[in-house]
Amino acid sequence: MDQKQGGVDTAGGHRAWILAALALVCIGLEIVVHLFFRTAIGYTHIFYILLVLSALWYYRKALLVAGGLVCAMVATSLVVGDLSWATAIRAAMFCIITWVVASISEERDRAKAELQVKKEEAEKRHYALVGYLSEATLRLKAPLETLRENLASMRRQIDLGVDTEDMKTMLSVQIAHLEQIIENFRELNQEIVEERDDIPQEFGEFLTR
Amino acid sequence: MPVDLSRLGQDKLFLVLSTAEKLRQNNIQIIKTLTDGGYKVVVITTNRPSGILKKIYAAEGIELSKVFFIDAITKYAIGRVPEGEPDTVFVNSPSNLTDLGIAITSALNATSGNKPCLLFDSISTMLIYIPSIAISKFIHFVASKLRLLDAPGIFVAVEKGIDPLLLTQLTTYVDDVIDMDAPSPVPGGDGEPQKA
Repeated sequence: MDQKQGGVDTAGGHRAWILAALALVCIGLEIVVHLFFRTAIGYTHIFYILLVLSALWYYRKALLVAGGLVCAMVATSLVVGDLSWATAIRAAMFCIITWVVASISEERDRAKAELQVKKEEAEKRHYALVGYLSEATLRLKAPLETLRENLASMRRQIDLGVDTEDMKTMLSVQIAHLEQIIENFRELNQEIVEERDDIPQEFGEFLTR
Repeated sequence: MPVDLSRLGQDKLFLVLSTAEKLRQNNIQIIKTLTDGGYKVVVITTNRPSGILKKIYAAEGIELSKVFFIDAITKYAIGRVPEGEPDTVFVNSPSNLTDLGIAITSALNATSGNKPCLLFDSISTMLIYIPSIAISKFIHFVASKLRLLDAPGIFVAVEKGIDPLLLTQLTTYVDDVIDMDAPSPVPGGDGEPQKA
């Protein structure tokens, strides 16, 4: 668990560094290309790498990055004096693309998390079923084998002319064993019926009768 | 066919696995080996009433003076305790682990000067009356008690009647596991007990 947590922290750290480096590149391009070379064409496509990665990793928080880039672009446009509809459309595209990618990424991860929860629930049910089958075998099948052998032994004893009182006692023991086995079966079913909501009431009553 | 309990001096606690068909015969073999070895055997029976076991042992030539019974089934099954049963303690029910524990402690203390040895017959039958978790704890309690008293103990169970988890737990409580019905690797040695 700690290792997993450590792994997530390391990945988060790497992501932050990658985004910081990309942000520096974008600001650098804004200053060098737009401010010094006075051209507003082409270089802004690089911005999308930063925006898409931010949206993938940090969902809608990436809109803050988009807002920052829009501010930087508008500020340089004001300095350069080329503020136009093209600048406004570019700024809107930054925000729209970021929002769309963030929404898709968020939805994908939410579905992934839901799937994981369902998978864990299915695994839990599977282990519960294995546990039930194992305990049922242990407390029903194995004792029945002992009982069968007891009865077989008693039959052999009859052939040898066993005392009637002893036979009655042994029969009482087998009856006691059987009564308990039936009770065990009912208890095991009771546990399952109480645990599962999807068993219809009629079947629940039948199983625990 | 003698039971190979030759390590009873070094190893103290054994889990003996037997098929259901040979359980009765193996029980007799173990008792015979132990009584011949000079042990006073404390038999905990949950499957056959002590009165019947006594007759079986006597018929097999086992010295009954060397056997003490803790009978957990007679009273439960027939509702009363037979009168005039020497060397026998009756417990209300196999599920009454408190009384069973007290009876075991008393019996071991009472026979402490006579080379006591405990025979638990059987774990498989106990499973009818108590869940596997409870039986694991109880066997651990009995095993600890035996180790404190430095007395040997043999726990009998039906082979293939115990799930892997319980078997692993039981194996950790004992020193050795003996499969009574495993085929012998020695030619012509069929039926010789083997270590599991």
